[in-house]
Amino acid sequence: MSRGREFLVGLVIIVAVAVAVVGTLWLQGTNFGRPTRTVEALMLSAGQLDEGNPVTYRGVRIGTVASITVEPSGDAIRVTMLLTDPVELPPDPAVVLGPESLFGDWQAEIVSVARFPRFSFYDVPPDASTSAGVPGPLLGGYALPEITRLTASAEQISGNLADLTDRLELTFNDETAANLTAAIGNVEAITEDLRALVEQQSAVAASITANADSALLEVEQAAIAARRSFDRVDGLLADEQIDSIVTNMRVASAGIRDLAADLSDPEDGLAVTLDRADSALARVDRIAARLEAGEGSLGRLLTDSTLAVRTEEVLRSLDFLLQDVRENPGRYVRLSIF
Amino acid sequence: MSIEILDVHKSFGDKHVLKGFTLSIRDGETTVVIGGSGSGKSVALKHIVGLLRPDGGEVWVDEHNVSRLDQESLYQLRRNVGFVFQFAALFDSMTIAENVGMGLRRMPDFPDADIPDRVADCLRMVDLDGYGDRLPSQLSGGQRKRVGLARAIATRPKYILYDEPTTGLDPVTTAVIDELILRMSDELGVTGVVISHDMKSAFRIADRVAMLYDGVIRIDGTPDEVRACEDPIVKGFIEGRPELMAAGR
Amino acid sequence: MAAPTAYVESVGRTAVTSVSAVGRAGFLGVDALRALRKASLWGPHLLGQMARVGVDSVPIALFIATFTGIVLALQASYTFTGAVPLYFVGALVGKTMILELGPVLTGLALSGRVGANIAAEIGTMRVTEQIDALETLAYDPVAYLIVPRILAGAIMFPMIVVLANAIGILAGLGASLALLDLSALQFMRGVRLFFEPFDVRFSMIKAMTFGITVTSVGCAFGYQTRGGAEGVGRSTTRAVVISSMIILVLDAFWAAVLLR
Repeated sequence: MSRGREFLVGLVIIVAVAVAVVGTLWLQGTNFGRPTRTVEALMLSAGQLDEGNPVTYRGVRIGTVASITVEPSGDAIRVTMLLTDPVELPPDPAVVLGPESLFGDWQAEIVSVARFPRFSFYDVPPDASTSAGVPGPLLGGYALPEITRLTASAEQISGNLADLTDRLELTFNDETAANLTAAIGNVEAITEDLRALVEQQSAVAASITANADSALLEVEQAAIAARRSFDRVDGLLADEQIDSIVTNMRVASAGIRDLAADLSDPEDGLAVTLDRADSALARVDRIAARLEAGEGSLGRLLTDSTLAVRTEEVLRSLDFLLQDVRENPGRYVRLSIF
Repeated sequence: MSIEILDVHKSFGDKHVLKGFTLSIRDGETTVVIGGSGSGKSVALKHIVGLLRPDGGEVWVDEHNVSRLDQESLYQLRRNVGFVFQFAALFDSMTIAENVGMGLRRMPDFPDADIPDRVADCLRMVDLDGYGDRLPSQLSGGQRKRVGLARAIATRPKYILYDEPTTGLDPVTTAVIDELILRMSDELGVTGVVISHDMKSAFRIADRVAMLYDGVIRIDGTPDEVRACEDPIVKGFIEGRPELMAAGR
Repeated sequence: MAAPTAYVESVGRTAVTSVSAVGRAGFLGVDALRALRKASLWGPHLLGQMARVGVDSVPIALFIATFTGIVLALQASYTFTGAVPLYFVGALVGKTMILELGPVLTGLALSGRVGANIAAEIGTMRVTEQIDALETLAYDPVAYLIVPRILAGAIMFPMIVVLANAIGILAGLGASLALLDLSALQFMRGVRLFFEPFDVRFSMIKAMTFGITVTSVGCAFGYQTRGGAEGVGRSTTRAVVISSMIILVLDAFWAAVLLR
């Protein structure tokens, strides 16, 4: 046994052990000796966030999610993040949880509250404190709803719109016309809510909308159904006087169709699309207003009170749905390919 | 103190090799066991050091029943028995000196510092002075056998067992080996057991000659007694006359 | 006409032979465990065997790992084209290399290199009576020959496999950089994506059992060699075949036991 052989055996063992240990730590993402700090945040829901997911700041990875625990009171969850980058956080920091990619991996993004005034960040109670050894402040967090849930809701809304326009085939009276106006006002308000939600999505995770085509196909189909209903109204009201109204309705349905088409176009932002949807619904609103005024021969259709009741039911459920989407996005949102 | 082999039976598969082999080896003597190839001579020899265990019968060495000994006691006993293998069985990854010193390293009472001296001593006895640094592959067959002998005597055993020590050697080398065997007996006073089918060599070194035939000892006596034996099997074998052996069967 | 009985006899003989072979191997295993106590016999040889089993096997293991890594990367990119982001190439190379191909291909290659070498060496020692000679010189051949080889296999195989894993992943990375439209960062992101520290332990546990298998099967067949040069050849071939089979069975066994 020569010295050289002994050296080689030792070398192989030392190199192999070093490769195993260092490789494991490195692949695990251990931060060799660099300073780390811990930041904690409270929020209502963890969404799809998991331990080990990245923590980003302005799109750059600065750490990992160390743990996710439910607060003892059960009121909130606490996300503990290990930051490996000594970056200075904004003066009004908060945490947004959202999808990092289409593959279902979520990330925790540290943001400035001022940049996202619409988000209902968790209101950290004054008596809540960070865990022992973790410097403050305790951040508030918000978990985004997922885009597929929103598009699914959009489909339901489109379906309900179709329902609503179906009812136009029946006659209704002044009272129902008033109800209808109110209802359409609701639709507008609801749409505004929807728009806000989607805007949040597009602001924080704009990239994911690029891949949402398949989900949006459903919206398009719903819009087509809605248009068919409008067409039927068109046939029913073959009166020159209401031609302009019908034209407006066509524009409205085209707007909805465009909405669907634009959603699948990655170049246009969701916000633009939803602005168009807004204007389309505003036109619906105007149609309703003219109907209410008894303009044209359509006024004579406004005799059946059952329609108004049913329309109200539809709108109530629509309203409830959107409220629920707003409050419990996680219940509807589940986007994961794997 | 002696070696006693009592009624040993040994089979390998269907082949019944030893069928009641009985032999006493007397201390201080060189006993040569002769017999045809494949008659089981080597098998009998390996029973003495416990390399093989008998199917039946007993082997006694120095009042120890070899077949009953546990491994440790067996190794203890083997320190008193040197074994010279047919083809030397040298460890080919080791030098000659390392080969010869192997047994000494397993002697608890033998200081490691004395090993080189003892090895040189043993190599001198087999006339291989200065060969210590060579590898077995660099030696001739006869030289290898002598190294095997040197290795067997290094621990100064009481008994040396030789498995066909002269087979395959030229007459001159055979004479050298015979001379060595006699010298071991005379100078070290060891008891020798030699397996051989070389009659000339056998009668030169033997104090006693035993013939193994068909799994049992056919005759056991002094060389003169064996030479005078009229048993056609023995006579035929010694004189190399197969027709006599065939007649005696 | 004795053919039917002859056939039945041959079945019986085969059964007895195989059972007794397993039995002998079992006894040898028990002897080897017992011989672990005799550190004075195997200790001095452990380092030498580690050099032979381990160091001398590094080149072939790394050679295999290099090309395995390259092929894995290229096949992954070919498979993923269009459907899955390309950085998943890293995930596939890393995971496959560490969990499966690193240990198994190294094990199979070394069953040929190390197992055959051990079987031939010990087989030759058996047929030239060197093992008997050890016995007569009061050396326990199991402690002297078998234990250091098996220990060397158990210690060195995991080391070789760790190196092979690392080289395989690096080769995959190299292939991705050179031949695919993939950056080093993307590749490593893929490797890290599904990496678990347990993977490395799993790989090493497998490697250790493969090392014990290859060396002990080589020793067992070598030790039981009969019949001269031809017997040595037979033992060598059998050692390689049997240890390769055991490696594959063990591979499935560990997957079933540890990966569920």
